Amino acid sequence: MSVPAREPATAARPAPRSLRAAGGRPRDPGGGPSRRYGPGTAVTVRVIAAVVILALWQFTASAFAPAYIPRPSRTLAQIPAVLGDQQFLSGTASTLLAVLEGLVIAAVIGTAAGLVMGRLRDVDRLLRLYVNSFYAMPIVALVPLLTVWFGYTPTARLAIIVIEATLPIVFNVAEGVRAASAGDGQGGYEDVARAFRAPWWRVWTGVALPACLPSLLAGLDLAIGRALIGAVVAEFIAGLNGIGYYILFNVRSFHQDDALVAVGVLVAFALLLRALINLAVRRGLPWYQPSVRGEQA
Amino acid sequence: MTQPRPAAPATQAPLTRRRLPQGSRWRAALAYAVSVAGGAAVWQALGSHSSSEVFVSLTATLSRLGQMISDGSLPGALGASFSVYAAGVALAIVTGAAGGLLLARRALLRLALEPYLIALYAAPMVALIPFLLALMGFGFWPKVIVVWLFAYFPVQFATQRGAQSIAPELIDVARSFRTRERDIWRHVVIPYTLPYLMTGVRQALARGLVGMIAAEFFLSADGLGSLLITESERFDTAGMLAVTLVITLAGVALMGLGRLAEARFARWRVRP
Repeated sequence: MSVPAREPATAARPAPRSLRAAGGRPRDPGGGPSRRYGPGTAVTVRVIAAVVILALWQFTASAFAPAYIPRPSRTLAQIPAVLGDQQFLSGTASTLLAVLEGLVIAAVIGTAAGLVMGRLRDVDRLLRLYVNSFYAMPIVALVPLLTVWFGYTPTARLAIIVIEATLPIVFNVAEGVRAASAGDGQGGYEDVARAFRAPWWRVWTGVALPACLPSLLAGLDLAIGRALIGAVVAEFIAGLNGIGYYILFNVRSFHQDDALVAVGVLVAFALLLRALINLAVRRGLPWYQPSVRGEQA
Repeated sequence: MTQPRPAAPATQAPLTRRRLPQGSRWRAALAYAVSVAGGAAVWQALGSHSSSEVFVSLTATLSRLGQMISDGSLPGALGASFSVYAAGVALAIVTGAAGGLLLARRALLRLALEPYLIALYAAPMVALIPFLLALMGFGFWPKVIVVWLFAYFPVQFATQRGAQSIAPELIDVARSFRTRERDIWRHVVIPYTLPYLMTGVRQALARGLVGMIAAEFFLSADGLGSLLITESERFDTAGMLAVTLVITLAGVALMGLGRLAEARFARWRVRP
């Protein structure tokens, strides 16, 4: 590397200014809840709200709804039984591992494709139409086709997860790389690297790749929800062992309380993954402000 | 607590789009032409070299599409699907805007409900479809509710964000001219919030489409989703590809519409 010792630190730090400019948050003069109420009040109010909502639900369900409609008292009582149920555990593990596996595959494919599209304008022109079209369409519509191709197997589920998750990543990474290498008043690290005669592959790995990290994480954040939707729909249609099928099966056999516990686990998993992404952004990329790009689905 | 994804001001996108010189505009047009022609050629080649259950050529897909249009199955399904979609998205826009304004103006409500709403926004709503099926059966309204569930939250959060970010000076000025509450809404709150709302609408249009297809997989005897299911059961790959093509075109058209609406209203977005 023919770059002086002081440079790499900055070179690895792609255009924070531009991203911050794009993500600049509007002021919140209404005063967030925390400004008008203390943190203790917040917890109290939220607990009260939860109790009121659950009580209303309990009352409405027991007064008007048939017995199989879930109500909070029974659902809460079912939690230990469901969490100890072997069928639930194996199904949940199968779904969640598939989602994680799909997200990893999608991150690799999406970053590679996004990098190439973001940096090579002709490749971008060739592929953009297809990426944009698939990003705009509901990918779950491909599930029936994929079950014909892969059969009613976990492979079909993995395929739909990968497709769902890849698109926002490609879209975001390409956009991020384009913005970072556009250089209109944004630093122009690429020019610096070139001025020091960095070979092309160093520009890719040293400038473009770190520059796309924030957009990769933003894409992953969007991908999580989409991947879970894809996985659940695939399980519904193909009847695969998994948390989605567990929900479907238990609703059909009038165990809606058990099914609702599973929904809660699914939501908790989605929130946990997104919190992890958030943490990764805050820890790993402190210069980056949660951005605004590629906010589609 | 994770923030809800802030509604994206799409106004920033042109930042990366630079004006191209004449020569490269031609090159861009050429590349798009090659892209379309290449995609069609790949589809055609793949289709004619694989068995008809696996993949079908573009021409075969288009002839199946024509057949489905002339026998009325596709127009019928389109009509059924998009009446559900329109009802669900319209409901989501109205309730989302109302909910967002309410949350923005009532701090206590926001304090009490925000974490639960964020959790619901992150929840994969498809998991609720079996419950709706059990509760309401097959019909028009359960599907509308699914579309609504998918489309409501982006509108609500975008509206809330917009209404919460109104600069207090604007309202103070209005008040010091003794503007009535109704006129403050008409001249300050609503115009300020509309661009944000439109960002939410664009996202709702895309998410609603997912809800529509997912709902029809399970809750429907008509519509594009159930058409796909019956075709997959008959291994009618040409039919599936034809329906998928139509869905893709609809998705692209709706996204274009959403972007247009957003850009139209973004012009009067107040920049902090």
